[in-house]
Amino acid sequence: MKTNSANNRAKATVYAEVLLAAARVKNNVFAVANEFDLLTKTVRGSIELRKTLVDKTVPATAKRAIITEIFAGYASELLETFIVMVDRGDLAVLPRANELYTTLAEKALGAAFVDVTTVVPLDEALREQIISKYSAELGCGVMLREHVDSDLIGGIILSTHGKRIDASVSSQLERARHVLSKTF
Amino acid sequence: MKQRIKTVAKMSVLLTTAMLAMPAMAFAAEDGDAKLGIELLFPPLGEFIPMLIGFIILWIILAKLAWPHFIGMIDKRAEKIKDSLEKAEFAKQEAERLLEEYKVEISGAKKEAADIIANAKQQAEHVKAEITASAQTEAESIISKARRAIETEKKTAIAELQASAADMTIMVTKKVIGTDLSTAEHKSIIERYIAEAGSFNEN
Repeated sequence: MKTNSANNRAKATVYAEVLLAAARVKNNVFAVANEFDLLTKTVRGSIELRKTLVDKTVPATAKRAIITEIFAGYASELLETFIVMVDRGDLAVLPRANELYTTLAEKALGAAFVDVTTVVPLDEALREQIISKYSAELGCGVMLREHVDSDLIGGIILSTHGKRIDASVSSQLERARHVLSKTF
Repeated sequence: MKQRIKTVAKMSVLLTTAMLAMPAMAFAAEDGDAKLGIELLFPPLGEFIPMLIGFIILWIILAKLAWPHFIGMIDKRAEKIKDSLEKAEFAKQEAERLLEEYKVEISGAKKEAADIIANAKQQAEHVKAEITASAQTEAESIISKARRAIETEKKTAIAELQASAADMTIMVTKKVIGTDLSTAEHKSIIERYIAEAGSFNEN
């Protein structure tokens, strides 16, 4: 008899594999990975959205409408997979499915996904600089998932596989504030 | 007892002599016969013998009836006096013994009282010392706590002041950087930070 955790892991694997198969057909694996990541962060960040999606009194059609409205422009295979997940009441496996999809997509593409957060969008020169530096370090191709966040003030944050390089101005200022508060 | 009998006999002789002398003198005065020399001292024989017989009868009566009773009374009296004297002596000795005992007891009581007072003084001194030490310890503890509280308050106030100063400095810096940097300058910073940033394996 499977435990609840093992059951969720199995479900997450199924969703990730189905989504990867669909994305590979459309040759859209990396874009789906980016969008899946954004979708997961959006759902995790909104209590109201989560409550609505798990509410059994809300009709499935209404939930579909909400999903397509909020995530308009996202890959159709991603949205279909997500809708099935919501209809079956498997919203809890969403983060795990996203992680598994990322891992499977990285294997499929033979590259590591690196999340890059900056204040201004990257240009090609910066992308090349990042890819060349971290491809050599990771020993494989690097695909950047770019994010823009003005809270950084300046600089850059890189992360992959749970590892993080924080070279943002906000972090440096925070460290400076900490040092100042101790030494003033 | 013998001594008393002798005493009584002597008294009887004297009494008899007096009795014998008195009638002779009376008879001499009544008779008016002049007697001379030694005759004046002795009564005529015709009177002496009846008197002697009377005396003897009287002596015998007294010896049989009065003397034993008289001697018994004297003996009782002597015995009583002796008993009284013995009792008095015993009482005196008892009184002296009691006096000695009382003196010893009073001496012991005085010593005990002195010991009690000394102990009480010693205990009072001990209690006083304990109270003083306790009060001093408590006072030191209160002062120490107060000092720690003041020190903590002081550190908190300094930390708050430092944090406020740091916050103010960083806030101004953020505003300056956030508003004054152009996109090109941001990209320049990113480029430099990428070059300077360490590896994932360092984190």
